[in-house]
Amino acid sequence: MTDATLNTGGDRPGSSLATQDARTKRRNRAEARFKAYGLTAILIGIFFLVVLAVSIIRSGSPAFTRTIVGVEFTITQPQIEAAEGELFKTKAYQTLFIDALKQQLDARGMEMEFDEESIERLLGKVGSTLREYYQANPGEIGTPVSFELAASSRVDGYLNGRLTRDSVKDSRFLMAADLDLVDALQEAGIVRSSLNWTFITGADSGVDNPGGAGIGASVVGSFFMMLVVLVLSLPIGVAASIYLEEFAPQNRFTDLIEVNISNLAAVPSIVFGILGLAVFIQFAHLPQSAPLVGGLVLTLMTLPTIIISTRASLRAVPPSIRDAALGVGASKMQSVFHHVLPLAMPGILTGTIIGLAQALGETAPLLLIGMVGFVARGYPDGVVSGFMDPNSAMPAQIYTWAARADPSFYEKAWGGIIVLLVFLLTMNIIAIILRRRFERRW
Amino acid sequence: MYDAPNLAENKVTQDKIKIAARKVQVYYGDTHAIKDVDVDILDNTVTAFIGPSGCGKSTFLRCINRMNDTIDICRVQGDILLDGQDIYDKRVDPVQLRAKVGMVFQKPNPFPKSIYDNVAYGPRIHGLARTKADLDEIVEKSLRRAALWTEAKDRLDQPGTGLSGGQQQRLCIARAVATAPEVLLMDEPCSALDPIATAQVEELIDELRQDYSVVIVTHSMQQAARVSQKTAFFHLGNLVEYGDTGTIFTNPVDERTESYITGRIG
Amino acid sequence: MPLLWLILSVLAIATTGYVLGRARVMAGAGGDSRDLHSLPSYYGYNVALKVVLPSFLLLLVWLLAQPLIVNGTVAADIPESAIPDGSSRDLIMSEVRRTAEGLDNAVAQGLMTEDFARSARSDFNDVTQRLKDAGQIVTAQVTQPILEAAQRYRIMNDTGNLILSALVILVALAGAAWGMREMRPEFRARNVVERVVHGVLVAAASVAILTTVGIVLSLVFNTIEFFRLYPAWDFFFGTTWSPSFTGRGGSSELGVLPLLWGTFYISIVALLVAVPVGLFAAIYLSEYATPRVRSVAKPMLEVLAGIPTIVYGLFALLTVGPLLMAVFGKDGLGWMQAGTAVMTAGLVMGIMLIPFVSSLSDDIINSVPQAMRDGSYGLGATKSETIRQVVLPAALPGIVGAILLAASRAIGETMIVVLGAGAAARLSLNPFEAMTTVTAKIVSQLTGDADFASPEALVAFALGMTLFVITLGLNIFALYIVRKYREQYE
Repeated sequence: MTDATLNTGGDRPGSSLATQDARTKRRNRAEARFKAYGLTAILIGIFFLVVLAVSIIRSGSPAFTRTIVGVEFTITQPQIEAAEGELFKTKAYQTLFIDALKQQLDARGMEMEFDEESIERLLGKVGSTLREYYQANPGEIGTPVSFELAASSRVDGYLNGRLTRDSVKDSRFLMAADLDLVDALQEAGIVRSSLNWTFITGADSGVDNPGGAGIGASVVGSFFMMLVVLVLSLPIGVAASIYLEEFAPQNRFTDLIEVNISNLAAVPSIVFGILGLAVFIQFAHLPQSAPLVGGLVLTLMTLPTIIISTRASLRAVPPSIRDAALGVGASKMQSVFHHVLPLAMPGILTGTIIGLAQALGETAPLLLIGMVGFVARGYPDGVVSGFMDPNSAMPAQIYTWAARADPSFYEKAWGGIIVLLVFLLTMNIIAIILRRRFERRW
Repeated sequence: MYDAPNLAENKVTQDKIKIAARKVQVYYGDTHAIKDVDVDILDNTVTAFIGPSGCGKSTFLRCINRMNDTIDICRVQGDILLDGQDIYDKRVDPVQLRAKVGMVFQKPNPFPKSIYDNVAYGPRIHGLARTKADLDEIVEKSLRRAALWTEAKDRLDQPGTGLSGGQQQRLCIARAVATAPEVLLMDEPCSALDPIATAQVEELIDELRQDYSVVIVTHSMQQAARVSQKTAFFHLGNLVEYGDTGTIFTNPVDERTESYITGRIG
Repeated sequence: MPLLWLILSVLAIATTGYVLGRARVMAGAGGDSRDLHSLPSYYGYNVALKVVLPSFLLLLVWLLAQPLIVNGTVAADIPESAIPDGSSRDLIMSEVRRTAEGLDNAVAQGLMTEDFARSARSDFNDVTQRLKDAGQIVTAQVTQPILEAAQRYRIMNDTGNLILSALVILVALAGAAWGMREMRPEFRARNVVERVVHGVLVAAASVAILTTVGIVLSLVFNTIEFFRLYPAWDFFFGTTWSPSFTGRGGSSELGVLPLLWGTFYISIVALLVAVPVGLFAAIYLSEYATPRVRSVAKPMLEVLAGIPTIVYGLFALLTVGPLLMAVFGKDGLGWMQAGTAVMTAGLVMGIMLIPFVSSLSDDIINSVPQAMRDGSYGLGATKSETIRQVVLPAALPGIVGAILLAASRAIGETMIVVLGAGAAARLSLNPFEAMTTVTAKIVSQLTGDADFASPEALVAFALGMTLFVITLGLNIFALYIVRKYREQYE
């Protein structure tokens, strides 16, 4: 049969290749559009990442600084005696402080009128701080002492732009008029900002004191939790992987384990929280809010991840190594523990660190075992109490702050996220270095 | 010497040059895969490229419709002219080129669509049919051309992957024919097929010569001898010898060609 | 802490057993280890294992059983009359435990003598006061029955602990003796030790099964308990969710439908963000991007997957919510009442899922054979025509599987909805309204003050069960599709 009509069937001219016909032009435009969609999708993803990073850094970095009022201040013995003779002793100290502050402002040529209430709003109860200091250090009486007093979190907010003059509503916490004083003090160089060690090392504070809240205690809580996870999940995960990869026969039981592992990897984390609540707290009566319980729950959650990555590294060890060991008369067990396991170790550790990093950021299960209702007001004393006593953990602490009504805590929550991400980043970098350093190609 | 019974029938009936290649060089990264290849491919002729594995015959074939463009590290130098026009000219759109220079691959690769849609794919993207009836006609003609119509006409809506290997390869040929190309490139089209399917495809190739210039890469010297009128022998990236199939197989000039044909290298 | 000391002494016995066993078998072989069946250390391990395994097993079983038995006995002894109306035996028992703990601590602090703690019969007013002085949290008044029960509780626990310590040490020593008797040179120590190690490996692998069993049991029992208190029909088909806050039941309406609706609505919004962006990103990365672009862009997208969900939750609450309010709120279009809404949570969850969709789809698109693409290019198709008409249809089953996995993630996600979606359960179509989800309500029902035995708390387990069944079903189905798809091209 002939096919003469086929070549003339279309409207495609047999013309020069160098000129694009209308249809080709249209198709090429569609091509460019499609490619642009793809690029846009990538850019959207990266855009979100950048927005996330910027808002974390911008909103979180103020948590690491706080405003300090630095006043050099001499108080004499007669002044102390006079103050101790008064009925309101701390008030007398406060008056002394205010006088000194006024003098310093005058000396810089800035006259300001302010009263005790505004000082209390800005700096809290200054008088009792001073009195305690001099009672503790009687030797300092009569010599100049430079005090660094932490300003209230609202002053922080004003200086870093969270509050503005317009948005301030007069309240017992802050009056618009106080801001004049803050401006004057700033101009005089008395107000400055410094690193907020309380935030980094401190424990949580009450709901009415955002300035005193710190993440330190919950870092310790997270640390004990991770210790539990590491000590349990690494040996169990490695043992389970060795069994499945090296010893397990092909049977129903093995299949059952495999199915369970792959399903557990996809079970929502909150369900693990329910498991922890029902089994560890309701049934086994372990203490609520304890890092031990949190660690146990996170161990169960992390195990599938660790098992999956460990099995991959065991599989990467070539069979020739096993054959070589068996060939010189080692038992199967010896060939695995003496040869395969050490060779797979870098991969296993990398997987474990990544699993730990995941566990460190996990929040939902901790809510259910009570690590949120608890306000971590101090450090655990000793190792046992570190595991058994109620504490918070970093993500749970961040959630607690985010759930509080006072917006001043939001800044702390963002700051907490920076601390959390620094830990995660460090762990991931260690994992990457480990992989680069010890990765072996067979 | 190779003694094919019908070498005498392999006569060139045309002398219009369809494709002319001059000083073609191909590089894969740092590897110089094709060196200084000059070849003229005639219209209405089956041209076979033979040579040992890795000699560059497939690479050269893929240059003719710029399939090598899809490989990032591949660079092509020199001129390849289709009807006197340089296909590596900047203004040439490879998409338009490939519509004129169709290709059939080593392994049958039907799309995961119905048989009908497989054949209609090319006409659709190139806008060859104005109406559904046009398209039906093209599909039927192409399937007939590929000798698949009788087997496939009752199952046009079934997936192309459900056909046997030989049928799949004929489907791929029908698919290539449906775009109404002027040149058909075939990269070892029978290497994945059994002998019966191979015979069917070879018969088909001979028929296709009526309308197209066919270039076929093959590992099998018997096949080259059976289907082609012209043969080019490639070795280590060089075109060693090019001429009438009969001459190449009975009276090669180059000793490398002779060694290959007699089975001493390859 | 006596438990720690108990464990340490068992370990000490094990170490001694290792050293002695090794020495004994070496002596038996005349100091030449070549006459032994196994390496000398295996004989030591054999003794140590026989010390550690039985005694720790006993310890574990005892520690699990003792609280149950003590609780049960003490609870059964509390007279019916001592349980006030509206309370339950469980509530009284938790008070008893608190009192007992208070007594323990008071004794530890030296504010009470042990004798006083045991025999403070008549003077329960005094006890309450003393406990308060010791800084212990006790209810307003420790009643006579509670005090008596608490004292019984302490005594039983003390006795139990004493017996436990004695038994564990005894078992450890017996194990050591058993192991030592086997220390003959021809004893196949390595085989025995390896069998035990093999057993340990099997046990470790079984943890996965135990976890699943634990999840299922803890969900099932509490769910059954819930359905005893609250009709299952009303739970599954009720359209109102309004738990009473008294924690005493009665007026609560606990219909799951508004929660399921909120869950699905938020997940759909999330998928509407994640699927197009993730899919196009995957297409670009696998088909268009140069290796250099790929090596930069792919890890950057994957960073999004490594960020903890609490961060996304905060991002929703504090950044995206206010941002949406500025556009759709009362200063803008006026569609939105508050920053927490379906849109907020869905959008942020979508961002979280982008890398999930893109890396799964990337894998799947890459597994479409190159021959398929070549076939299409060879016919003169452009790249986008090839992708849309050949690659995507071929990859479709795998991509559907990936989307289902992403959907299961979205349904099970907790922190973003807890912080970003609001707390009101409602059946509404407006995506700018606050809604709530199954996961968010599990959290709020179990972290509130509700009594553990009340339907308001137990409903969380029924919700958990619903969530577990839905996500498990989705996962199994998705993994099945993906596996089928992979097999097709292998």
